[in-house]
Amino acid sequence: MSDRDITVPRASGRAVPPIAISETSTLVNPTGSWKYILPRYEDRVAPCNAACPIGIDIEGYMVLIGHGRLEEACDLLVSENPMPAITGRVCHHPCEDGCNRASIDQPVSIHAVERRLGDMILAAPPPPVPDRRRSETVAVIGSGPAGLGCAFFLTRLGYGVTVFEAAAAAGGMLRLGIPEYRLPRAILDRQIERLEAAGIEIRTSVRIGTDVPWRDLDRFDAVFVAPGAHLDKDSRIEGADATEGIRPGLEFLKAVNAGERPDLGDHVVVVGGGNTAMDCARSALRLGAAVTVVYRRTPVEMPAIPQEVKEARTEGVGFVFLAAPTAATTRNGRLLGIECQRMELGPPDESGRRRPVPMDEGRFSVMADTVLTAIGEDCDLSFLPDAVRTSWGLLEVDALGESTVAPVFAGGDAVDQPRSVADALGAGKRAAIGIDHYLRERAGEEPGPVPLDEVRLGGSGNVSVMRYAGGSDPIPRESPVNEVVTWEQMNAHHFRTVPRHEDHFHSAIDVRAAFGEVNFGLTRREAVEEAERCLNCGVCNRCELCLIFCPDMAITRREDGGFEVDMRYCKGCGLCAAECPRGAIVMTREGL
Amino acid sequence: MKKVMIGNHAVSWGALRSRVEVVSAYPITPQTQVVEALSDMVANGSLEARYIKVESEHSAMAACIGASIAGTRTFTATSAQGLALMHELLHWAAGGRLPVVMADINRAMAPGWTIWTDQNDSLSQRDTGWIQLYCETNQEVFDTTIQSFKLAEAVNLPVMLVLDAFFLSHTSEPVDVTEQEDVDRFLPRREAVFKMDTADPRAFGALVRPDAYMEMRWHQQEAMQEARDVFRRVEDDWEALTGRRYGPVEAYRTEGADLLLVTSGTITSTARHVVDLRRAAGEAVGLIKVKMFRPFPTGELRALLGGVDRVAVLDRNISPGRGGIFAEEIRSALYDVPPEDRPILFGYVLGLGGRDVTPAVIDDIIDNTRMKSRPEREDLWVGVEL
Repeated sequence: MSDRDITVPRASGRAVPPIAISETSTLVNPTGSWKYILPRYEDRVAPCNAACPIGIDIEGYMVLIGHGRLEEACDLLVSENPMPAITGRVCHHPCEDGCNRASIDQPVSIHAVERRLGDMILAAPPPPVPDRRRSETVAVIGSGPAGLGCAFFLTRLGYGVTVFEAAAAAGGMLRLGIPEYRLPRAILDRQIERLEAAGIEIRTSVRIGTDVPWRDLDRFDAVFVAPGAHLDKDSRIEGADATEGIRPGLEFLKAVNAGERPDLGDHVVVVGGGNTAMDCARSALRLGAAVTVVYRRTPVEMPAIPQEVKEARTEGVGFVFLAAPTAATTRNGRLLGIECQRMELGPPDESGRRRPVPMDEGRFSVMADTVLTAIGEDCDLSFLPDAVRTSWGLLEVDALGESTVAPVFAGGDAVDQPRSVADALGAGKRAAIGIDHYLRERAGEEPGPVPLDEVRLGGSGNVSVMRYAGGSDPIPRESPVNEVVTWEQMNAHHFRTVPRHEDHFHSAIDVRAAFGEVNFGLTRREAVEEAERCLNCGVCNRCELCLIFCPDMAITRREDGGFEVDMRYCKGCGLCAAECPRGAIVMTREGL
Repeated sequence: MKKVMIGNHAVSWGALRSRVEVVSAYPITPQTQVVEALSDMVANGSLEARYIKVESEHSAMAACIGASIAGTRTFTATSAQGLALMHELLHWAAGGRLPVVMADINRAMAPGWTIWTDQNDSLSQRDTGWIQLYCETNQEVFDTTIQSFKLAEAVNLPVMLVLDAFFLSHTSEPVDVTEQEDVDRFLPRREAVFKMDTADPRAFGALVRPDAYMEMRWHQQEAMQEARDVFRRVEDDWEALTGRRYGPVEAYRTEGADLLLVTSGTITSTARHVVDLRRAAGEAVGLIKVKMFRPFPTGELRALLGGVDRVAVLDRNISPGRGGIFAEEIRSALYDVPPEDRPILFGYVLGLGGRDVTPAVIDDIIDNTRMKSRPEREDLWVGVEL
C-alpha cells in the first residue's frame, strides 16, 4: 500500500503549460497544402471608366486622391484627357450613370472632382514639351475638342502637329457654340495656352480650301479632319425667308459668344430640343427676353443634357412639347409669331425614338419677336477631295478614325457619333492611335494590328493611350483583367452611405442678367470628399481588409504597398476574395 | 466628479475609466445602453478603443477572445439569451485564461418571453470558469467594473460583473466617478501573460492529450482559489484610493442576530431597510450580502452563519429540480460546520421574472422563518398564486 497522498500534486519535472498553447511554431504546419482553390489579385476596370467616351482612368485618379496624392492624380487624369477643366464643366458625364455608388446612395460627383483637378492643373505651370521622337508631322483641321485632343495625344506620342483653325481663335464649338455661363472664356483660353505650351502649333484664321489649298497639306504625313458641324439645318418654316425674325440658332450663339448682344425683342421662341436649343434659350433669356422652347416630341426624347434642361427650367425658360412650327406670321416683314402644329408620338423611327406625327385639328399660334431654330447642324465638307467617302453628309471612318483615303483620318461632329465634347475628344484620341499606327507601319516598323480589345477599357469603352503606348501606372494594377467589374463581384457590406456633394449654383434670379459662370462646382475639400466616396471599383486601393480577414495571416504587405499571399499557409478559404469590397481578388484553380 | 447615471452607464463609465482597448458586443435589452454609450465614446474619441460590431453574442465573445489573445484589454456586455448564446465561448475565454471582462444585466430566461430581472442567466453559467460579482448599487457597478479588470488580469481569468435589469440598469443614482489619473494609478495597462506573437505564431486552444488536460484544469482551479486573496488586495487598493469597499461578503447589522437574511443584487437594499426597521423594533435580525459567487466565499459564509439560529436565503433564481441556487451553495458550505453550530436554513425562491420584492415580502419571510420549526421543503416559493 502506497503511503503517498494521491490528492497532492506531484512534482513530475515535466513542463505543462497553464493554457493549451502549442509548444512549437504553427509555421511547421503548411496549411496551404489543404487548398483546392487559391486567391489572385486581379484588378478590373470600373464602370465609370468604361462608360467614359474619352477613356479616362477615373478609378485610378480617385484612388490617388484617396491616398492624398493629388498631383499624381492630376497627371494621371491629363494622361487620358487633355482638358479636364473643360470637360469637368460641360461634359454630360455618362461616367456618373455608370457609377456603382448609385446602388448605395448617389453616384460620385465625378464631373465636379474632374473639374476641381482640372482647375488645379490650369493653375500649375505647364509640363515640359514632350520629346519629339518621331520625324513625321501631322496636320489637324479644326481646333475643337476632337482636333485639339488628337493633336495633344500625337505630340505625346512624339509627333510634330500643326492645327489649322478657320476662326480667329482656337476652340471650335467650345468657343463658338458653348456660352460663357457654362464655360468661361478665361478657362478656355488658359486651357488652349496650355496645349500650345505642350508643343502644339495652332494657326488660326486659316480655312483649308480657301486660305490654304487642300493639296498644300501634302507636306504633312497625315491629316486629321475635324471641322465640326456648323451649318444650321433648314427649319422648313413657311415664310421664314420673308422675315429677319427667324434666325439660325447656332449663328445667334456664335454672335453672342463673340461678345455681341443682339436685340431679340420681348418674346423669343427656340425651336428644337438639343443642347444648341438649350444654349440659345438660356442666352436669349440673358438678353432680357421671355423664352419658350418648342419641341416636337416630349421631355423624354430630348437629346439635350438633362442637367441643361433642368437649369433652363430653373432660370425661367418655358417649354411647349409635342408641337412643330409650320409657318411664320409676319406683317411688313416683321415677325409677329409662328403657327404650330400639335403633334403626337407614333411608332419609333430609325433612331429608336417615337416619331412625332401631326394631330388633326391641332393648330395654334405662339407670339414671337424672334424665332431661333436649333434643329441640328450639318457639316461643310466641300474642302475635301471627292475620293474621301461620306455617308449622309458625314465622313466614313473605321474604329481608329481612318477615312477611305490614306492618310486622312477624321473625327468629332463630322463623323457618325454622338455630338458631345467627350465623344469628340475620344475620337481625337482614337485617331491619334490610328495615325501613330499608320505612320509606324508606313515607316516599315511592322507594329502589327492595334490590339483594340486590349486598349479599349473594359473591352467596349473608349481607348486608353496609357494602354496603347505604355506608361508607368502610379497605382500598379495587379494582373489587370480588361473587364468591367460588376456590382455583384463587389462587397457592399464594407461601404457606408455618405450623401453626395452637389454643385454650388448661382441663384436663378442672379443669372438672368449675366453671362458669368452659373455653376461654381465644389470646393476643393468637397471634391476630395467626393473622391473619398468613390468605391474604387475593381481596383485594389490597399484597404487592407484582405490582410485583416485572412484567418491564416498568410497575407502580408509588400514594400510597394500591394499584398502578397504566402501560398504555403493560404488554405484557400476564399475569405479575402469574399470580403474584398472592390472585387479585386478572385479565387481560381490556376497555379495550383 | 459626481454624476447621476443609470446603472448601464455606470458600466460604460467604468469601462471608459479602465481604458478598454477592444469592445465587441451585440445589443439586447436591458443591456443596450451599456454598449450604446461605449460606441459613442469610441466614435467621439473619448475612448481610444476598437469597437467591433458583430452579428451575435457568440461572435462578440469570439472577438473579445481574439482581441484578448492579442494582448488587449477587452470588454463586452450582454443579458439572458445573449449570454446563453455565448456559452461555448465562455469556456474558451476561461480555459484560455483570458482576462475578458463582461457585464451581465440579469434578465430572466425565456420562455415565456421576458425582459425583467432574475439571476438564472448568469447562474446558468456557473461552471464555465468565470469569476462572478453581483452588484447592489450603481456606485458599486462603477467600482466593480474597474476592479474586475484588475482582478481578471492578475489571475488570468475572465470576470462577469452582474447587475439587475431595470432595478439597476435603468435606474438613475448618483455615482462618484473616479478621476482618470486615479484609475490609471490603480489599473495600469495590461501586461498579457499569454500573448499572440505573429512573429512566432502558436496555436491557441490546441489539442491537449489526457496526460495534460487535467493539469490545466488544476491550474485554473488554483487561479480561482487565488482570486479570493487577489480580490481582497484589489479592494484594499481601491479603498485606499476612493474610501469604498464592498467585500466578497458583507455583514450588515449581524451583531447578536439570531436570524440572518442572505441576499444578493438589489434585493439587498430592500432587505437593509427591513432589517433597520426590525432592529429599531428591538429584533435581532441581520443581513448577509453575497457579492462574490465564484469563487464561492465558503470560508466567510461559514464564519458568519455558523452559530446563528436561523438563516433565510433569498434566491431570485431557481435550479429546477433542486431549489434556489445560493441556498444550495450555502447549505453545502455549512455542512462542515459542527452540527451544534449549524443554523436552520430556509431557502426562499422569489422575485422571478422581475416580480417585485417589496419590504412587505421580506417582512413576511422573516415572520415565516421564525414561525416554523423547520422548512418543509428545500425550496420555499414566495407569493405564488395558482
